[in-house]
Amino acid sequence: MKRYIAWTFYLTLFICLLISRKGASREKKEANCIRVKDATGRIVEVRQPVKRLAVLTSDALEIIRAVKAGDLVVGVYSDISKDPLFWTGLTHKPKIGSWKELNYELVAELDPDIVICYAQRPGRDMEKRIDPFGIKTIRLDFFKLNNLEKEVEALGRILKKEKEASQLIAWYRKNLDFIREKLKVTNKSPSVYIEGDSNYHTTGLGSGGHDMCVFAGGANIAADLSIPYPEVTPEWILMKNPCVILKITTLSTCNACYSMINAAPLKAIRNKIMARPAWDNISAVKEGKVYVMANEIWTGPRAIIGISYIAKWLHPDIFEELDPRGLHKEYIKKFQGIEYKGFYVYPGSN
Amino acid sequence: MEGNDDICKKYKGLSGKKFSFIILLLVVLFFISLIALSQGASSLGFKDSFIALFKHTGLAHAIIWKLRLPRIVMAMLVGCGLAIAGTIFQAILKNPLASPYTLGIASSAGFGAVTAIIFGGSFHSEYLIAGTAFFFALLSSFLILGIAKFRGSSPETMILAGIAIMFFFSSLSSLFQYMGTLEKVHEIVFWFFGSLSKIGWKEIGIVSLMVFLTIPVLLRWSWDFNLLAAGDDSAKALGVNVTKIRMFGIIFASLITAASISFTGVIGFIGLVAPHIARMVVGGDHWFLVPASGLIGTILVLAADTLGRTLWAPQVIPIGIVTSFIGVPFFFYLLIKRKRGYW
Amino acid sequence: MLSISGLFFSYKDTNILENIDIKLHKGKILSVVGPNGTGKTTLLKCIAGIMKPEKGTIRINDKDASRMKRIELARCISYVPQSAPSKFPLNVFDAVLMGRRPHITWKPSKKDLNMVAEIIKSMGLEDIALRDFDQLSGGQKQKVLLARAVAQDADYLLLDEPTSNLDLKHQMEVMKMVSGMVQGNGAAAILAMHDLNLASRFSDTIMMLNSGKIFCHGDPRQVITVKNIKSVYGVEAKIYMNDSHPYIMPN
Repeated sequence: MKRYIAWTFYLTLFICLLISRKGASREKKEANCIRVKDATGRIVEVRQPVKRLAVLTSDALEIIRAVKAGDLVVGVYSDISKDPLFWTGLTHKPKIGSWKELNYELVAELDPDIVICYAQRPGRDMEKRIDPFGIKTIRLDFFKLNNLEKEVEALGRILKKEKEASQLIAWYRKNLDFIREKLKVTNKSPSVYIEGDSNYHTTGLGSGGHDMCVFAGGANIAADLSIPYPEVTPEWILMKNPCVILKITTLSTCNACYSMINAAPLKAIRNKIMARPAWDNISAVKEGKVYVMANEIWTGPRAIIGISYIAKWLHPDIFEELDPRGLHKEYIKKFQGIEYKGFYVYPGSN
Repeated sequence: MEGNDDICKKYKGLSGKKFSFIILLLVVLFFISLIALSQGASSLGFKDSFIALFKHTGLAHAIIWKLRLPRIVMAMLVGCGLAIAGTIFQAILKNPLASPYTLGIASSAGFGAVTAIIFGGSFHSEYLIAGTAFFFALLSSFLILGIAKFRGSSPETMILAGIAIMFFFSSLSSLFQYMGTLEKVHEIVFWFFGSLSKIGWKEIGIVSLMVFLTIPVLLRWSWDFNLLAAGDDSAKALGVNVTKIRMFGIIFASLITAASISFTGVIGFIGLVAPHIARMVVGGDHWFLVPASGLIGTILVLAADTLGRTLWAPQVIPIGIVTSFIGVPFFFYLLIKRKRGYW
Repeated sequence: MLSISGLFFSYKDTNILENIDIKLHKGKILSVVGPNGTGKTTLLKCIAGIMKPEKGTIRINDKDASRMKRIELARCISYVPQSAPSKFPLNVFDAVLMGRRPHITWKPSKKDLNMVAEIIKSMGLEDIALRDFDQLSGGQKQKVLLARAVAQDADYLLLDEPTSNLDLKHQMEVMKMVSGMVQGNGAAAILAMHDLNLASRFSDTIMMLNSGKIFCHGDPRQVITVKNIKSVYGVEAKIYMNDSHPYIMPN
């Protein structure tokens, strides 16, 4: 009888122990989950620690490297091989898709903890498909100026790189504040015509480019237009007579400005714009204020570099001592850990 | 003899009516181009626009001659070219569905443009896009002709070959688009919408050369096109070299199509709808049908472009979209009201 | 004179026509008869230059047809196919005017228009002269096609089944028109016919084909016989003579 009691006691104890252990482990798990707001405004639970990262966008990859988490990346987007010099050390990682589409089988096989992609693409389907594999989808854009700091902070928390993230944020803030402060002394805002890759397609209200232009103290002539990326007539641009013309280019250069050895392709684009029919009547063309800027420093993690260039072009008197190229060099070296190379604007590359 | 004169008179009366319809189209075209010329973002009014047309008045002169006029002329050329090409395709293939689109010429031109946009790299330019679009447009028509050589040039073979080519090239375009980056996909989408903003006098030179060199030849062959409808055997027995007509007809129509769309992008529907509208009014005689259809295409595209750039100014609604918006309801109206059995 | 000698035509190893000889003088009508699929249509198409014979020569007014351009050929020979086009988006006047195509380069002259008007009138088509071809009845269409062949102003008319699908009245009208054309204009005609009685009544000679070969050729009385009908068509029939034309009545 005693024996039975003893056995029962031991058994109960054992079961209790088991349960308690299990409970404890579950508790621990819950304790290790953090909640972050992603770019779509939704709260996402991420289990910690995040050790394996798959990245679908170059914007996110750049920020990841900036917060010194490049070694966590196990999967990348396929287009990365077009810019091998800039992404040194990352190009050989397994390719799992593009900014708009994820290869579910590859990603399941790779088994990262999280996949980082844009807010809108790939579609909502993605969460449904990879959640069952225990892979979390984190949607962060890193191309909207107003959300950049918040998104960097969220990424820092997810990757436990809060210190590095705040360094990056501080650097952004310092340089943005500088421009904001300097601009307070003037109430001039020169008119700007911004053109994307497609000729006569500009950027209206609600686009990242518009925000950058406004931040740099410019007045976007397309600010009143209701479509974010409308086609406009050359005649209208002529009538608006912008002081500065800003052409953003990705296509016309070799995909990667980092590996460009001279500014000739950018110069060619500028010459073509200046030679457009009847555009010799536009003030920007008359005064040579036609600038070509690479997409690398346009909307995205390096928007601050782009803004600095634009600010200097728009207000040369105020920003005499501002050195956008120096800033870019500093960023590349300090946050990307590589050597500064390439050509990003014309004129004013050197 | 009196009876003869009577029939002749009636026949001439009918031809006269068709002729006056063409004159009417010319008058309409004239007024629409006046309106088009006076519309724009600048404050140039109706009167100022015309003064600037003939007088060196600085900026106004530059706006009219360098911006508005090229756009208007190109809209007219492209509309005319695509409509005539569609007419020829329909005659040659004896198929009311034939158009630069059904034959895969438009989609292969589109594929050419997509290739240039995606792989153009540092050589990327409008001329490269136009050049590859042109090349692929011709390539597809030669493909069709090659198939026709092997399997006989029956209209069914050609239409089937054309549809196969269309699907093939649109899939290839989709594949390349799928591989493209965000910016490139944008560029491709914009190209497919069609645009007249990028047109200068040089481009107009190339396209007008194509259109105006081929129109006289096509008019000279108008009888042969008529006869094709009677059947290949009857046409041959009446001295028509059916194979030659079909081959050169396709080549010429492809040349016009390729030249038109390679600079402006895909302008939908004109090649299909303009010939039908013309046919409903002037009937099937190509002597009248070719010019009437060309003029209707001209008017439709010019009207569409003028609306597209003024309705929502300064934003431009892509020409391809507006053309369909104008063409489709008009086409439906005629389809319901048409006389029986026009095709 | 139209003379054909030693004409062969084959399609994929099957002989369609073998060793055909024809001599046709102006002012004569030759009917080619025979069962379905015996090569009547092919023969007409070979003569019209629509198909190329494999062997044999066709001489038109002592000129080798194979060396003539298509347009020259079209001025000598007109051809009316068996079936009217299902869609022909022109009016009757235009359709007849098409016959002038081998004689015109850019636009028809006043002479051409007058000629067409006269043909339309003489064939009794005035009332429908400006009506659309597609709206006509089968008989009217056949007449318009004949009118087109007349407008072509050729020496030799090739008609493939001109009376098929026509009612009795239209059959007679069309056949009378053909013999009128031949007698009036000094032309000659070759008709592919199914109706042996019509052939017998309107032809000067009849050629009976069997499996692509000439079975017999000559005066209707020599060709339309009980024995020939039996061996070519496999049908027992009686022959009645009327006005020296043989008429056939199958048993």
